[in-house]
Amino acid sequence: MKTKIGLVVSALGFFLLSFCSTEDPKLFEKPGNFPAPVYKLGENPLTPAGVALGKVLFYDALLSKDNTVSCGSCHQQSAGFTQHGHALSHGINDLLTKRNSMPLFNLAWSPDFGWDGGVHHLDLFAISPLQNPAEMAETLPNVLEKLRYSKTYPPLFEKAFGTDEINTERFLKSLSQFMLTMVSANSRYDKFMRNEGETLTETEREGMSLVEKKCSSCHSGVLFSDFKFHNNGLKAASNTDVGRYDITLLDEDRYKFKVPSLRNLTATAPYMHDGRFGTLEEVLDHYASGVEKSPTLDPLLNANGQPGISLTTDEKTKIIAFLKMLNDEAFLKDDRFSEFEMRENPEMAQFANTDWDKVDLTTQNPIVKNALSKALGYYWGIKKGLMAENGAEVSGSAKLLLNILENLDRTQLTPMQKAFYHKVYQDLGFDIEHVSETQSVSHQRDHFGDLSKNLFRLIKAFKTNEKALYYHFCPKAASNLGGYWLTETSEEKGNPFFGKNDKKCGEIIHYMPK
Amino acid sequence: MKNFLFLAVFTLLNIAASAQKTGSITLHFDNAVGNEALVLKGKQYTNASGEQFNVTFLQYYVSNIRLVRKDGSEYVVPQDQSYFLIREQLPETRNAVLNNIPKGDYTGIRFVIGVDSLRSASEISQRKGCLDVGGDGKDMYWAWNSGYIFVKMEGTSPQIPLTGNRKEPIFLYHIGLFGGMGDKKTLNNIKVATLSFGKEKVKIKTDKNTVIGIKTDVSKLFNGPTTVSLATTPTVMAGPFSAKIADNYADMFSYTGLKKEAAASDTKIALGMK
Repeated sequence: MKTKIGLVVSALGFFLLSFCSTEDPKLFEKPGNFPAPVYKLGENPLTPAGVALGKVLFYDALLSKDNTVSCGSCHQQSAGFTQHGHALSHGINDLLTKRNSMPLFNLAWSPDFGWDGGVHHLDLFAISPLQNPAEMAETLPNVLEKLRYSKTYPPLFEKAFGTDEINTERFLKSLSQFMLTMVSANSRYDKFMRNEGETLTETEREGMSLVEKKCSSCHSGVLFSDFKFHNNGLKAASNTDVGRYDITLLDEDRYKFKVPSLRNLTATAPYMHDGRFGTLEEVLDHYASGVEKSPTLDPLLNANGQPGISLTTDEKTKIIAFLKMLNDEAFLKDDRFSEFEMRENPEMAQFANTDWDKVDLTTQNPIVKNALSKALGYYWGIKKGLMAENGAEVSGSAKLLLNILENLDRTQLTPMQKAFYHKVYQDLGFDIEHVSETQSVSHQRDHFGDLSKNLFRLIKAFKTNEKALYYHFCPKAASNLGGYWLTETSEEKGNPFFGKNDKKCGEIIHYMPK
Repeated sequence: MKNFLFLAVFTLLNIAASAQKTGSITLHFDNAVGNEALVLKGKQYTNASGEQFNVTFLQYYVSNIRLVRKDGSEYVVPQDQSYFLIREQLPETRNAVLNNIPKGDYTGIRFVIGVDSLRSASEISQRKGCLDVGGDGKDMYWAWNSGYIFVKMEGTSPQIPLTGNRKEPIFLYHIGLFGGMGDKKTLNNIKVATLSFGKEKVKIKTDKNTVIGIKTDVSKLFNGPTTVSLATTPTVMAGPFSAKIADNYADMFSYTGLKKEAAASDTKIALGMK
């Protein structure tokens, strides 16, 4: 009988499939053990092109004022979309924000966003980091202008929304589309709950019932958060962050913060809104013996006048064993969310979350050194042309520069150098192409700043320069968007963005010895 | 049968024609400080605390406009056509044009100073034109505490002491907060202005544009139920004191009379939703 039903079901499935064969696999599916999402998907139906656009935007540093920080900079996949190793996330010019970047997953179930819940809709969230002076320090109108001006984006918007118009709604909704697909529901716990053959060890089982008993009044439900705001008794020392009070201005909300999920905790350290605890042990020690009394301390943490939650060492071990069951390895490695897609660039994937400022990429390879030396030569040609306002000369040198970088023999690079080169060249090649394609000096100047920035980034990382390099910045360049350029001496006068009308703008912001 | 059809079409056309008996209204805002016209940057004014100040920036939202009839009933301007951002720097934005107003006599007007809570909480597709936070509304939005700034006035005053991070004697008054979502309350600084046209009834005539003069006295931000000192509170944003400022400016609008009529299509349009 069972087989018969199975046959009927699969026949029905086949029947349905043949009708829906043009549809893509579901971009968003409610996991069997999850409640209905809060986000109104009907108002922003997910499409493959919309999600793809959102992903490109998510990983594009163009969203920041100086084109150095992307959403992905502070929300790294391997760290559960938090900023790995940072107590407080940092944005452009290494400015620190006041809080730890929150993990990004299961956002479709979140009624509000941020540690203080100040943003009430996922679509509105991105504006906040985008315009925060310590994060991306941009303005939304500026970003939209940059996107409209780019070669890449209008076609992507057209694919996603039917026309190439780039506006606030489309920009924010495509980002949401991508973020909505980031569903994490394949931890061992989920598989156990869905009866997918997963079993629990005795320790995990006891840990689970301890969490239910001692933690679940705040970390409730399958999402492990009540999405409310609580003061969990963190020591107020040096803590001027009043949390939820900033939003409601109610004294009862002082020092209250959003209850974060307990999923993927192994990846999302450090913990708390200010990242003060590096390990789960420290977190449990806090709840067991570090809770400080204050007028807004959550009553649940002050039962019987005794602050904290009673936890024995054995109980802590069991709780941590259970919490580890909530890690979703598949999510953390899912290439649908990765900056480098494994399908396209299998070699790059392993470096997806590398902190490029912290790795040594120095090369002694003569072929690479020779190519980058030639590249620098053509760069001086571009700069000379801009100083003289000779668009043809600029374009000619840019073509030579493009040729040398495009054809650089990448087999001479280590896999890590190759990944870095690939990443930088994506932007660098784009700007050089623009400079080479036009003879309009003003258009060339619009791209020259980023061209200089990324060429410098490459040479600085590979350490191939034979002479010292000076890195200049002029905030007035490119219609006050700012622009960079390089020189070989500190005395060299002139500004390639203004040429003959030099406004004496610019200063050396970096020096790279030979 | 043919005749019947003809009659039906004729009747429909007639109905359509009678439905079109509408005119338009232009709300013309004159920004002022007390009895003096507002001049950005150039002019010095004095507030009730005896402090001198000038104004360098002024924008505010006017929305959800209703016209009051003699019998107390109201004509509610359709919401999508009822959001305006008045920007002192852009003179054309000081004319808010309302089309398709049924002809008749009106005795007053009511509108929200700012953006109503429903629209403040609406999804992004409902935020076009002057409500586009990536466009015309860019200076009037808090990203970290989702909501529009209703009234934004900035300027300088020599009385403001240079302490802490303050390098220039500037004041920044950004007043917003719509009450928050659901049970997550914030302050609610939404105010409604109610103006009477006095004895002078305003007649809306078919295909005519009636221009209604409204004075906005921005000195009310400082001089109202609460007498504000710029030296003491040079910055007011999303804090508790913003409620006092909103109470102060709740009656900053007054009706100043009818202006010359213009042809319906002949008026520059303020920043609306389209």
